[in-house]
Amino acid sequence: MDEGRRERLRSWLARAADDAGLTITALERLSGGAIQQNWGLTVRRGDGREERWVLRTDNPATLEMSHGRREEFALLRAAHAAGVRVAEPLFACDDAGVIGAPFLVMRRVEGIAAAHRVVKWDAVGGGREAAARAMGRELARIHSLRPAGDDLAFLGVPPADACLAFCAEQERALDAAGPHPILEWGLRHLRRTAPGPIAASLCHNDFRTGNILWTDQELAAVLDWEFAGWGDPHADLGWLCARCWRFGNLAMEAGGVGSRAALYAGYVEAGGAAPDPARVAWWELAAHLRWATIALAQGARHLSGREPSLELALTPHIVPELEWHILREVAAREAALERAA
Amino acid sequence: MSGVLERPDAADLLAIARATVLEELLPALPETHRLAARMVANALGIAQRMIAVDPSRLAALEPRAAALGGRVDDPWAGLCALIRSGAADPGSERHDVVAALLADLARLRCETSAPKTLAGG
Repeated sequence: MDEGRRERLRSWLARAADDAGLTITALERLSGGAIQQNWGLTVRRGDGREERWVLRTDNPATLEMSHGRREEFALLRAAHAAGVRVAEPLFACDDAGVIGAPFLVMRRVEGIAAAHRVVKWDAVGGGREAAARAMGRELARIHSLRPAGDDLAFLGVPPADACLAFCAEQERALDAAGPHPILEWGLRHLRRTAPGPIAASLCHNDFRTGNILWTDQELAAVLDWEFAGWGDPHADLGWLCARCWRFGNLAMEAGGVGSRAALYAGYVEAGGAAPDPARVAWWELAAHLRWATIALAQGARHLSGREPSLELALTPHIVPELEWHILREVAAREAALERAA
Repeated sequence: MSGVLERPDAADLLAIARATVLEELLPALPETHRLAARMVANALGIAQRMIAVDPSRLAALEPRAAALGGRVDDPWAGLCALIRSGAADPGSERHDVVAALLADLARLRCETSAPKTLAGG
């Protein structure tokens, strides 16, 4: 960030925090996602206290389905109010003139999110079983938010049937990505076996290892809310437990971190309805589809020529592995259906 | 010179470039640049496997897709439309033929993009 932007940011933050003496003492780019940029921000308040914040802003091209910073701010506030562990949201700025794009600022939470480290870490969150329970509790708190009130009105009307809405959305994604018959095969199976409507809850929609910040004591924060929306709460459980999000630690079904039993126990303990295993299984297969179409969309950003990137270029090469598991899972589910018939 | 173009050929160059990234560059790089170096090696590996695929295997899949989906101009789009329409659902005549084609397609795609998946079964 150049000096001009940094000074505009300082002056904007001073006004937002109602603290004319606020200064920025450090500003550094953090490792971050393909969609956002995250900046570590240390400020000294007028009274001399130092505070550590994070500034989140958009990369040049963003995925169609992700929310803007203002909406992410509203989601964080609602989640924070519902007792979900999130970085406390502080300010949101819609004015692209300050640093070049809208941004939000939240309190910095220390911890480790990197998936490949987390799944190998036996002490994660106080131990694997405690960690899986903690994830269950957080999900139950997120799912306690229901479509009422105006705070989250920007999320729109909940779908009448979240499973069929998912199928329709994936059909559109595949139409945009070009023919992928194996994904189409998985999607057709999902449509035929959709479990039916269910009362909508707030779903995080990217609740997985890599988006959860851990210490060796606890689950410190749930990150990356840009895909949140109304839907079937089992979608979050399925996304977390899907084989493709266990980062190689397949025996630990809850995100490569801990057991599924502990996850569900934590979920029920915090007031969640007992998960329906058949619905979760449907969403686990759906997770492979969705990750595949996201990977194709990321690849398209590279292929468009507007955002050449080795990381984006490699991402679609994940798709064949996902397809392999989709084919196997569809065959297994069809065989089970045939036996049951 | 044994052909029009000079040797070593593309496969050889990609292989030696990949080995150089992994064996010489990676150990000498600071942590901040290792991920990028691993991505470079990964990209070179995929490119190696892509150019090693026998083109006749690719060519053999398309007529099967065209025969099922009925579109010679765009066999894979035709197959996708067939699947989405439900005409290859379990119990239908075409189900097992489509499943067999998709299994062959999946294998070929994994051979290039994700060979470890095949090794792992």
